[in-house]
Amino acid sequence: MKTIVITGTRKGIGQALAQHYLGEGWRVAGCSRGEASIKHVNYRHFELDVSDENAVVAMARTLHSDYGQVEALLNNAGIASMNHALLTPASTVNRILQTNVLGTFLFCREMAKLMRRTKTGRIVNFTTVAHPLNLEGEAIYAASKAAVESLTRILARELAELRITVNAIGPTPIETDLIRGVPQAKMDALIARQAIQRLGEVRDVMNAVDFYLREESNFITGQVLYLGGVC
Amino acid sequence: MPDRHAIEALILDAVRLLAEDFELNALKSPTTHSPLYGEGGALDSMALVNLIADVEDALTEKFGVSVTLADEKAMSARHSPYRSVAALVDAVIERMPS
Repeated sequence: MKTIVITGTRKGIGQALAQHYLGEGWRVAGCSRGEASIKHVNYRHFELDVSDENAVVAMARTLHSDYGQVEALLNNAGIASMNHALLTPASTVNRILQTNVLGTFLFCREMAKLMRRTKTGRIVNFTTVAHPLNLEGEAIYAASKAAVESLTRILARELAELRITVNAIGPTPIETDLIRGVPQAKMDALIARQAIQRLGEVRDVMNAVDFYLREESNFITGQVLYLGGVC
Repeated sequence: MPDRHAIEALILDAVRLLAEDFELNALKSPTTHSPLYGEGGALDSMALVNLIADVEDALTEKFGVSVTLADEKAMSARHSPYRSVAALVDAVIERMPS
């Protein structure tokens, strides 16, 4: 049975992705800062903060000892904060960078070690359309995802020799906790900038992730795919 | 806790297996004096990455200890802990949990 690691599985897109891949016959190793919200014989939950190096290393060691290897990683966990730059405290900046950049990096590093021998490893990172659209009020969130995109492109080159592909997906706003609290007028203006003007759905994300995970996608790496026609 | 001899044997095993995988003739029969990375060493950066990960995995599997070899100390050390088998043994011993 193949193992996929998905970060941020307690709710939203991460939870839906975990259920989707469980349904597809994968063993899913998920994590979040809270308790598991998924009960399934092939689901294993790790309660951790993705930016806690020791905890991520311990999770990787457990997966190595119990399952031997990991075939795929979805770096879904992320946090956002909508605020004008002049009103953004340093503590918020740190928190966002820790989760979105450091967390993504630590999981890439530790899980890539567990993919070395598979010769078919797949890493999918999560970015956002807020970066190419340069959205006001999302300076730090967008900057953190710009870092994730750069990380994706460089890791794609560094891990190519191990035949691990590293790509990213940039969803549009989707009806999840992440956008709750964003004023409707702002959301409408954002959607108006997409080629296809609607809110994204979790199945849009799944479709793109499925594509990256396919065996036939072994020649696709270092790519960032934005949904909704954003470029 | 494993002694120096046991750690040395574990690292020599890891080097031997890696040498087979990467077809590195110079390291197929390694000794404690074998150079690994840098001057005179047979490992390129990707082989080194694999060796470090293999040694960390083997330490966990055989001795149940979690050691991170690629830490800031290793990055900033004047003499690389990856330069030879003996240096790598020292680096492991130094990082063993007390």
